[in-house]
Amino acid sequence: MKLLYNWIQEFVDVAAPAEEVRARLSLAGIAIDALEDSPAGPLLDADLTTNRPDCLGHYGVAREVAALYRLRLKSVEMALKEAAQKGDEVTRVEIECPELCGRYTARVIRGVKVAPSPDWLRQRLEALGQTPINNVVDATNYVLFELGHPLHAFDLNQLAKGRIVVRRARPGEKMKTLDGFERALTPEMCLIADAARAVAVAGVMGGAESEIAFESRNVLLESAWFDPISIRRTSKALGLRTEASTRFERGADPAMAELASRRCAALIQQLAGGEILAGVVDVYPGRPQPRKIEFTRKELLRVMGGDVPDKEIEGILSALGFAPRRVDATPGSRDSLMAAWECRQPSWRADATREIDLVEEVARHYGFDKFPARLPTVKQAAARLPYAEAEDRMRERLIGLGYREIVTIPHVDPERDTLFRAEDITPARLANPLAEDASMLRTSGAVTMAAALEWNLNRGQRNLRLFEIGQTYELNGAQPVETRVLTLGVTGLAREKSIHEEARAQTSADLKGDLDQIGQLAGGLLWEPGGPEWLHPARAARFHLEHPAAPADRAALGCAGQLGRRVAERFKLRQDVFLAELRLDPLYAGDRAARTAMRYAPLSRFPAVERDFSLILADGTRLAQVVEAIHTLGIAEVSSIEAVDLFRGGQIPAGKFSLLVRVTFLSPDATLTEAQLTGFTACIVAALEQNLGAVLRAT
Amino acid sequence: MTTKTISVTQTLAQLGVTRPTQASPLFAALRREFDRDAEAAREEAGWKAFRDAWLGRKSGVLAQITENWLKPAPPELKRAVGQALNELRPHVEAVVEARRAAIEAGAEQAAAARERVDLSLPGVERPIGSRHLIRQTFEEIERIFLALGYTVVEGPEIETPYYNFEALNIPEHHPARDTMDTFYLHLPPGITPRLLRTHTSPVQVHAMEAQKPPVRIIVPGKVYRRDNPDATHSFMFHQVEGLAVDTDITFCEFKGTVEYLVTQFFGPTVKTRLRPSYFPFTEPSAEVDASCHVCGGSGCRTCKFSGWIELFGAGMVDPAVYGFVNYDAKRLSGFAFGLGVDRFAMLKYGINDIQLFFQNDVRFLRQFP
Repeated sequence: MKLLYNWIQEFVDVAAPAEEVRARLSLAGIAIDALEDSPAGPLLDADLTTNRPDCLGHYGVAREVAALYRLRLKSVEMALKEAAQKGDEVTRVEIECPELCGRYTARVIRGVKVAPSPDWLRQRLEALGQTPINNVVDATNYVLFELGHPLHAFDLNQLAKGRIVVRRARPGEKMKTLDGFERALTPEMCLIADAARAVAVAGVMGGAESEIAFESRNVLLESAWFDPISIRRTSKALGLRTEASTRFERGADPAMAELASRRCAALIQQLAGGEILAGVVDVYPGRPQPRKIEFTRKELLRVMGGDVPDKEIEGILSALGFAPRRVDATPGSRDSLMAAWECRQPSWRADATREIDLVEEVARHYGFDKFPARLPTVKQAAARLPYAEAEDRMRERLIGLGYREIVTIPHVDPERDTLFRAEDITPARLANPLAEDASMLRTSGAVTMAAALEWNLNRGQRNLRLFEIGQTYELNGAQPVETRVLTLGVTGLAREKSIHEEARAQTSADLKGDLDQIGQLAGGLLWEPGGPEWLHPARAARFHLEHPAAPADRAALGCAGQLGRRVAERFKLRQDVFLAELRLDPLYAGDRAARTAMRYAPLSRFPAVERDFSLILADGTRLAQVVEAIHTLGIAEVSSIEAVDLFRGGQIPAGKFSLLVRVTFLSPDATLTEAQLTGFTACIVAALEQNLGAVLRAT
Repeated sequence: MTTKTISVTQTLAQLGVTRPTQASPLFAALRREFDRDAEAAREEAGWKAFRDAWLGRKSGVLAQITENWLKPAPPELKRAVGQALNELRPHVEAVVEARRAAIEAGAEQAAAARERVDLSLPGVERPIGSRHLIRQTFEEIERIFLALGYTVVEGPEIETPYYNFEALNIPEHHPARDTMDTFYLHLPPGITPRLLRTHTSPVQVHAMEAQKPPVRIIVPGKVYRRDNPDATHSFMFHQVEGLAVDTDITFCEFKGTVEYLVTQFFGPTVKTRLRPSYFPFTEPSAEVDASCHVCGGSGCRTCKFSGWIELFGAGMVDPAVYGFVNYDAKRLSGFAFGLGVDRFAMLKYGINDIQLFFQNDVRFLRQFP
């Protein structure tokens, strides 16, 4: 809302510079975003909160200024020079829907001469961003901006029988509003009609047929009060937001309706001549009962924690129209802790109905800065989220493993989401997306991870290790389900070429190793081949927790592998990409269980001994089988079995491969003797030969 | 073994030295020769020969002098020769040791010059990851409130209109709903509508339903508003909601908490200002402004030359909200705030486009290790 400072000054004798007034208003809750110059004078740009429709006019803002500077707000009461004939002799008003229209006043001005408005008026309207139309219409707009109350001028001669009927629209009823559009109306909407047809969408916009034209002579001036919710619905349904609808939907002042009408009639007469018929036709079914509000110092102190002197309280509440009256037992006792005031809700302050509302009024005008700042006492121990530490440990590891954290927006393209979605998952779609390619909530983290990799690859960033801790969304029936997941995305080089090292590309083994290191936090992972369709079939895996904390956590924790070619092509990813995704809640539960079970294992005082076995094995033999064969021997001194080299070709016959296995022996009780070790080795070799057909290579 | 000019294998008598006064020049000449030798010993091998020549246990010059000069000397010479020898010995020993040290130091220096690493060459940097700046900012805010005794809680992103609006005193058709354009889920008719929460405030309601006062919580999380994306708008962003409800929490505690947050996050010299505002779920409501941390309040581009930066909305919990959770509004009071994490990070680190957070360009991520 734009405000001319000199217009405000017509209602309050404030002499301060506009800049100062701007600052003080802003600190009292009437935010003035800008102060600019205009041909009509300094212009304040107010960004008003929706609870203060009373400040959608210069007079209302002048009231705030008067309260701030403790100046008198001038009255806008006025008398009219009226003709002998009475208005109700030429028009009649009927309200059929009092629930939508609480008051309707009509005044008749006859014999006006419609013409362009004078410069001073045009200038003011233009400064506020309005286009002047003619003196009668401009007068209604002028009063709207002055008193904050919307008015409408009808060409009385265009109203059938000169009558006004306020009613709901009939099903299928149509009307052309004065912006030239044909509007389809519904029975939820309040209409202004004459004896025959609709002439205005109540509180929103007038009709084209009854608008004031240059040949109009007789004016019916409407000043009414409409139900805010009804106006808001109508305005939304029609997609039509006007100066009038903005005020009515936030709550106009029913008491102001008649005064605004008087003020406007006088202005029309001043600008366009004519005679004002005597009296006002005023149908007022929704006259509000004046509400009494008690304000006590006790409540002020309870909410604000700091005091305000009686004089300030009374000054502020009086200036804002609340008419405070001391009602406690000892009204003479100044600044008494028991002080209480009975206040009256002003008609223009529909927002102020409770004691807390008055506390706010007093506090904002007294100044928030005058209340001291102090910290609350602490009564409870602080606590992080239950899984915060598990997440910290995981995040720490991921960062140590070289992963950068990303944050993505879960709104995705349904087509892309489908690529990563299992058939039995029902996605959550948006009813009102901003765009089709952001109309679904992701069902996997992989879909946004692939997009993040795509973004970076398209910008020359080729070596990537990314992770995201986020959520996936789906519907279980109509019930939304949000699942916490970790997603990893890896592509390019694991190590770049440098003067110290050779380059090495990342492989699915990097991803597996990283996941195992994460899994160790929760007691380790078990792997099995196979995975969702979006992964490369030969390089896809699922994994489980080795020690699930709850039966429900036995299901697969997640999957990992190389992104399948079909999906990679859809994202135009021209280098190998590896993705993994896992559910976090079971991992966090596993982490908690593993932490609880964590105990010290005594270190052996005796040296460990390593023995390498260079084996030639048939293709398809798995390390797990080798480990199993050795474990079956039950040699307690075997402390670890590791694969340290693997190769094919060269001297190794086709269909075979060479595997170098390193077994570490350790006894907690004694140094192992050569004889013992020879025995162990012989057993192991025999077992591997027998069970796996392994051939021991000479080393 | 002998010296070049003076024979130490002969006795003094054979050298024609008979009087005590002759000893002194003899030893002076010896010392000159020693000093010349010392000067010539420049590397390790040379030094060893030099040492052995003078200090060798049997054939060293000093041993020979003892053996050949001193022992057979007549009593009238013995005293003078003995004294001269005693003066020469510490000199020889000291110089030999000094030469050794000098030679060793020289060798080390040479080696160092040869092997010195070029520190302008890079070390081996193992790749290391990073936390997202939004996460870092969450954690920073969380730490501030943990220090004040707050508990972190969270809630669902997909909400019902009741929790997102009604229970926060925003009934249907309330104009405040216009300021929070909302995404709704596409669900079959007849089912409770679901929306993407427009703020983290619904968790206030869940928390108060679940626990009795006193309440001190913060709620980090994602929120959604149906705004077209630009440099300052994203339809997803992040908030930290805060709520404190108790029998003794007033506007002053609210103010103290907000000031503590601002100085902890933006720096001790940053000032806080509360501007009256309006939110349906707080009253009195305030916009929290901070003096511009860039210019210190004198006016710059960051603060649009006003000296102040609008940070977030907050206020005393509106008593109407307590009605929805069966809290006694007459006895309890409290404050709530909802701060934009993205905005905090943008202000603190000079980021001019909110979209940068969600593009996840590693050139951006790298800047915040």
